[in-house]
Amino acid sequence: MTRHLTDVGSIDSSSTQAAGPDVASLLQGYDPGKPATEPILHLSGISLAFGGVTALTGVDLRVEKGEIRAVIGPNGAGKSSLINVISGVYSPDKGTIGFAGQTYAAMRANRVAHLGLARTYQNLALFKGLSVIENIQTGFAPRVRSNFVEQTFAIGRARAEERSSRQAAEDAIALLELTAVRDRPVSTLAYGLQKRVELARALVSRPVLLLLDEPMAGMPAGEKQELAAYIRTARDSLGTTVILIEHDIGVVMGLSDRIAVLDYGHKIADGTPQEIQANQAVIDAYLGIAHPEDDAVAGEARA
Amino acid sequence: MANVAAPSTSNSFSWQVPAWLAPLAVVVAAFGVVPFVASPYVIEAILLPFLALSLAAVGLNILTGYAGQLSLGSAAFMAVGAFAAYNFNLRVDGLPLIVTIILAGATAAAIGIVFGLPSLRLKGFYLAVSTLAAQFFVQWALTKFGWFSNNSPSGVIDAPPLAIAGVTFDGAVGRYLFALSVVTVLTAFAYRLVRSQAGRNFIAVRDNELAARVLGVPVLRTKLLAFAISSFIIGIAGVLWAFAYLRTVEPHGFNLDRSFQILFIIIIGGLATIRGAFFGAALIVVFPLILSRLGSAVFGTVFDSGVLDMSQRIVIGALIIIFLIAEPDGLAALWDRLIKRAHGRTEP
Repeated sequence: MTRHLTDVGSIDSSSTQAAGPDVASLLQGYDPGKPATEPILHLSGISLAFGGVTALTGVDLRVEKGEIRAVIGPNGAGKSSLINVISGVYSPDKGTIGFAGQTYAAMRANRVAHLGLARTYQNLALFKGLSVIENIQTGFAPRVRSNFVEQTFAIGRARAEERSSRQAAEDAIALLELTAVRDRPVSTLAYGLQKRVELARALVSRPVLLLLDEPMAGMPAGEKQELAAYIRTARDSLGTTVILIEHDIGVVMGLSDRIAVLDYGHKIADGTPQEIQANQAVIDAYLGIAHPEDDAVAGEARA
Repeated sequence: MANVAAPSTSNSFSWQVPAWLAPLAVVVAAFGVVPFVASPYVIEAILLPFLALSLAAVGLNILTGYAGQLSLGSAAFMAVGAFAAYNFNLRVDGLPLIVTIILAGATAAAIGIVFGLPSLRLKGFYLAVSTLAAQFFVQWALTKFGWFSNNSPSGVIDAPPLAIAGVTFDGAVGRYLFALSVVTVLTAFAYRLVRSQAGRNFIAVRDNELAARVLGVPVLRTKLLAFAISSFIIGIAGVLWAFAYLRTVEPHGFNLDRSFQILFIIIIGGLATIRGAFFGAALIVVFPLILSRLGSAVFGTVFDSGVLDMSQRIVIGALIIIFLIAEPDGLAALWDRLIKRAHGRTEP
């Protein structure tokens, strides 16, 4: 475990640095050194239950602008539920969501994109009938104002929109090095590439906040490192704040600025990778070390 | 992973046929050659129903093939189009035929939106059942209220002659050219539509509705748009069916069998392809004719026509099943494979 946790900083992002088409212009307004005063996302007291099953209990989470924020925890800890609450797929039973200066009781799935929020899915959610570039262009949907007549005949507003959505998609393709497969149907791509297309689709609208639900699940170690590098590139060149759910502790430790740990729907720890690494509650949650009081309870039960 | 394998680029010096050449050649032949070589029987019995059903299938393919909303109400929207055209023609004096047709399509689109509203909550088979309501309701209303058929006692009414700007499309060839023009224009429209942002939204909603919603695709509007455009085209197909092919307008021709027929056309032809609608319609229209010719020639003296008709249906049903097992993606996919194979043989 310890050897795994110290595997920090092994991600080499230099290979992808040159990928951005106009990295310098994208960087403006983003300063990683400056601490943000107002969090970009502020969850407070989020609770969610499905029938009698509790998924989240009083979860608080502050995410600062420009950081890569990981949420980890054992299976069934409520990580995906948290992402689904933030992206409006679920409405929380209690608590509030502060996002970009506004406070919401619940996000609405069909509005989050307009607020500058984008996400990927644990199990791929690409549009199988579309090519790579068409999938990515779909991410441009929140900016589309033209109607179907303009779009069909390529007149009016549709002309400029199609041009800029294509340009934005090309930029995302260049950033994530998908040029060779840009016109292929997504269903013909390897799993790791599909994950990357999904990341590109999420990035094309230049989201303020990007939610990644286990982006590296089921990948071999080498591909995980590469995807981690792409995520960092996206943050560095677009200034996107990232919330990341991941099982691979090694990758998370190297990639994220701060980590929140969930267990049974509660947040049990929150801090820098170094703090999390040393946190007894986290180690217990992962390794299942019994507390003395558990022994006492077990003893009583046995007696 | 970073180094994506370069796609196998085809030889740069091999001659490439532009994609628009084949459809253009078909259109030119259909306008310039067919009217001179096809007999009136071929036009009346094969080409006119083929054109009307192809257009209906193009319309249904937008809704079911591209936007993924299963509908069993196609014939109802055809009926709405046909009766709307008849009534606009009857009740508004001097209305040009083009305007009549567009208004008929718009009426079908409006009814389509109404019956598309359940799609906002229902999916798959449940939605199919609710579109079935359109099928039964429209047929019932058209039979029940005599106003729609101008109180004709039999409910069967003669369609008016087809005339645009003084030019009358009389006779088999005239009606064929008229139907062909309408089908060409609307097919070109459908082709452009499905390649636009709206078309991508259709496919996005079909393939993953939740992901589309979270990405900011207006899911509700996209579904209703699919219903509206699909019903518009199917409604105009109904006008062609009644005005150009049958030359009578009656509710009974637009029954559930017709809805299934159109659904089979797009399944056999290939979902979410425009040309599949034409392949499928050709098969559905031509195949029974060939079978019945063949049947009466071989067994005509042995069995009566009722038995032949029944066995013909059984053969068609069996062939459809066999065909779909062999090629689930329809005739359009089969066609692509044949073309690719032919190319592979000519190019070293």
